[in-house]
Amino acid sequence: MTRIFWVTCPRCEDRFYCHYRDLRHTDWKLRCPYCELEFNQEEALQLDE
Amino acid sequence: MATSTAPTARAGGEVYSPGVRAYLDQLETAYPSWIAHVHEPVDPASFGVTAVLQKLEDRNRYPLVVFDRPLDLNGKASSFPLATNVFATRERCALALGLGPEHAYQALALEYARREERRVTPLLVPASLSPVKEVVKVGDEVDLREFPIVRHHRMDGGPYIDMASVMRDPDSGAYNIAFLRNQYKGPRKLGIHMSPRHNWQIARKHEEAGLATPVAIVASHHPAFYIGALNVSPFGEDDYEVVGSVAGAPWRLTPSQTWGEDFLVPADADIVIEGEIPPGVREVEGPFGEFPGTYGPQRVRWVVNVRAVTHRHDAIYQDIFVGHRDNWVLGSFPKEGSIFNRIKGVVPTVKAVHLPTSGVGRFHCYISIDKKVDGESKQAALIALGAVDFVKHVVVVDADIDVYREEEVLWAVATRVQADQDVDILKNVKGNTLDPSQTDDIMTAKMIIDATRPVRRPFETRIEVPPDSVEAVDLRVLLGTEQLSRLGLEDDL
Repeated sequence: MTRIFWVTCPRCEDRFYCHYRDLRHTDWKLRCPYCELEFNQEEALQLDE
Repeated sequence: MATSTAPTARAGGEVYSPGVRAYLDQLETAYPSWIAHVHEPVDPASFGVTAVLQKLEDRNRYPLVVFDRPLDLNGKASSFPLATNVFATRERCALALGLGPEHAYQALALEYARREERRVTPLLVPASLSPVKEVVKVGDEVDLREFPIVRHHRMDGGPYIDMASVMRDPDSGAYNIAFLRNQYKGPRKLGIHMSPRHNWQIARKHEEAGLATPVAIVASHHPAFYIGALNVSPFGEDDYEVVGSVAGAPWRLTPSQTWGEDFLVPADADIVIEGEIPPGVREVEGPFGEFPGTYGPQRVRWVVNVRAVTHRHDAIYQDIFVGHRDNWVLGSFPKEGSIFNRIKGVVPTVKAVHLPTSGVGRFHCYISIDKKVDGESKQAALIALGAVDFVKHVVVVDADIDVYREEEVLWAVATRVQADQDVDILKNVKGNTLDPSQTDDIMTAKMIIDATRPVRRPFETRIEVPPDSVEAVDLRVLLGTEQLSRLGLEDDL
């Protein structure tokens, strides 16, 4: 399994997951697949590694 | 043999190359119970298509479904009907290759392997003789929102085109065809995901040279094209040549709208989307519900800048229900025949090989052999593991077990396996990054279950009702036609 981390969207509060090596501790904005909000990782309501 | 709608060479070298519509017409005529139509408008981008497929799947039904009036990405009626679940049964796949449904199991796998070994040089035809050029849109004329692009699963990052893409190796000139997911990102922009396989190598070569990678997304074509694209040829082999061989005739190609004769596209496709992967450009892409039935995570991936769209005037848009039987059947039989042939070279008594849908058509492999000496079963299993890197768990059974009937295979596991003696684990073997059970990025563990009876000691035998007694029974006489019909046994009528 590719290492992932779960993210909780700050707007719709739904959860999705991202590729750890590609995205964790980077400047890439995450994109919520449910409400399409683009946000910085530190804005996430929750990050589960 | 069934009548084929796949491209066929005729006397005088003429090649008949129908599109997917001819295949659907064949189903409507010869096998109407295999196809269903949704006449009401549905919104593919809001799960309208996959919800129907899921509801059918929940009832264990897998028809090819044509959505006659899907909405496009603007929420308006699309001019393209949508066909999906095309590959969800082996019988429909067999038909696409010109084989009758009675040949849908081992015969299909072995015939695929036989055809896959050959090469058929494609035919170059001018645009004027290419149905895919009936409608041509370039530059600002292109608007991908006209298509009924499907959003499949809840966590998907958006609507996805999930059919096959063609790329060309800059060194050898060979074309590679692979199923790659394309996320809709704008009217002329797609995301594209590649694993470190052949297409990835092609894109990497272009990128290292500072060049854009041409890509032609064949969004709809005769199913034989997609089945042929699943060949396991080495990198550098030309997939158009293999597709022609698998389909049974030279594949007709035509110059692309964007790169002319430097990049050929299928002349008889229903829809081709031409674009370029710019070097050094990445964007966030995904998640996407993948073949194991789990989501691949959101990633940083390449993009495709779309340059042109060409299609038949009556084109049908296609989609694969990834992570479901549509995807799993398509992944299975093209590999079964080659595994069988490789085993047969070492274990001549091999009877059948099957990659069941319970193993997503890739991870589980059932092999039956008429074992003559102990050890042959493990030999066969090791060959299967070496032949296809997707294969993770191999179960070897005796020849009295039908590998296409999973209940029989699991019965053999239940009654012929002692776990401390008949199970082997191989650690640290190359696996698949999309397997959610892997604890390492690259490596996985493989398992061999030897569910064959031992040769060197007496072993209890399977119960049976005397076959001649079974053969003598006439259910029409004993149950009557009404009961047979009620029991769904029309075949015995």
